Amino acid sequence: MNKIDIFKNGIGKENPILVQQVGMCATLAITTSLLNGIGMGVAVIAVLTGSNIVISALRKFIPDEVRIPAFVIIIAAFTTIIDLLMHAYTFALYQALGVFIPLIVVNCIILARAEAFAFKNGVVDSIIDGLGMGAGYLVAMILLSSIREILGNGSILGFGILPEAYEPMMISVQPPGAFIILGLLIGLVNYLSRRKKA
Amino acid sequence: MKNNYVRLGGILFLIAAVSAGLLAFLNDTTKDLIAQNEAMASMDPAVLESVMPGATMFNDYADTALVDAIKAENDKFVNLQMAVDASGSELGTVIRTLSTVPGYGGDMELFVGISPDGKITGLNVVAHSETSGLGSRTTEPEFQSQFIGKDASVEIVEFDALTGATKSSKSFLSAVNNAINIYNQHLKK
Repeated sequence: MNKIDIFKNGIGKENPILVQQVGMCATLAITTSLLNGIGMGVAVIAVLTGSNIVISALRKFIPDEVRIPAFVIIIAAFTTIIDLLMHAYTFALYQALGVFIPLIVVNCIILARAEAFAFKNGVVDSIIDGLGMGAGYLVAMILLSSIREILGNGSILGFGILPEAYEPMMISVQPPGAFIILGLLIGLVNYLSRRKKA
Repeated sequence: MKNNYVRLGGILFLIAAVSAGLLAFLNDTTKDLIAQNEAMASMDPAVLESVMPGATMFNDYADTALVDAIKAENDKFVNLQMAVDASGSELGTVIRTLSTVPGYGGDMELFVGISPDGKITGLNVVAHSETSGLGSRTTEPEFQSQFIGKDASVEIVEFDALTGATKSSKSFLSAVNNAINIYNQHLKK
């Protein structure tokens, strides 16, 4: 698999949200507005790429039998490091993204990529995989969160775009709406990808 | 076989120890900077203005014995400060407190400003972990404006909770009421 394919894989064929459907809890909870979706997406790109680097670099050192607990420790440590550094040195960014950082620890996409890719591939490939999967995650988050914000709030990035007469669909920004819209989105992606094949 | 367990445990221990060491070191080096950042953020002019219109500074309360006494009996109480304007004259008291009823993401932390004549002058959420887009709307003026100007001599019972965020709204209210109780027990003259 060449490097461009690894990157494209994360956005399209193996998109973490729309195809693999991993890390759903954070996805469903956070996508109430586009700004949140972008924030979480950017934070995931950073942590995923970082943890992929560390795990692929240590893959010969970590024995197979204890790889999962080792991953968990490395990912949790890495996330906390980013959290502390951002809190101390880039406070404005931390205020915007800070709430998402602890959520990343429970995002299983990081663990999934560690297990499925970084543990079996070299550092350079793992960086590309992290960037590709992160970009795919970001794209899906942008799609889902903009639909939810438009329907549920009549706005995009906080700017009202629908006429005053529009009565916002509250359910769209509530948990049930997250499931319904994500389901429809995945259905649409499946429909389009099947039609392309046929 | 037995040796293998020791080897696996040892490697895991090594990873954990290195991680813990790294985190302890980082925590130590960033601790002061983080505290400084947080303090500066809570002294943001926009925050001051929203809690006590006209305020340019929150000074520590002169009667530290009173602050300690409140701390001892009310474990949700965080701090008591005095809001002053540019000329240094005192505008009112500012009570920093946690909520007594948890929201979805635990306690919320609020600044509650109370004027010398016992009216709520303004509110600001310092920290919260409520759902973004739902409970987080408790931080917005649209929700908070209903409390401003209210009499602080009695607990607030009736209020308009946010649609879809009743729990967060109640948590917010409990913090306001905790400040009101502190005001009535210790500060009201």
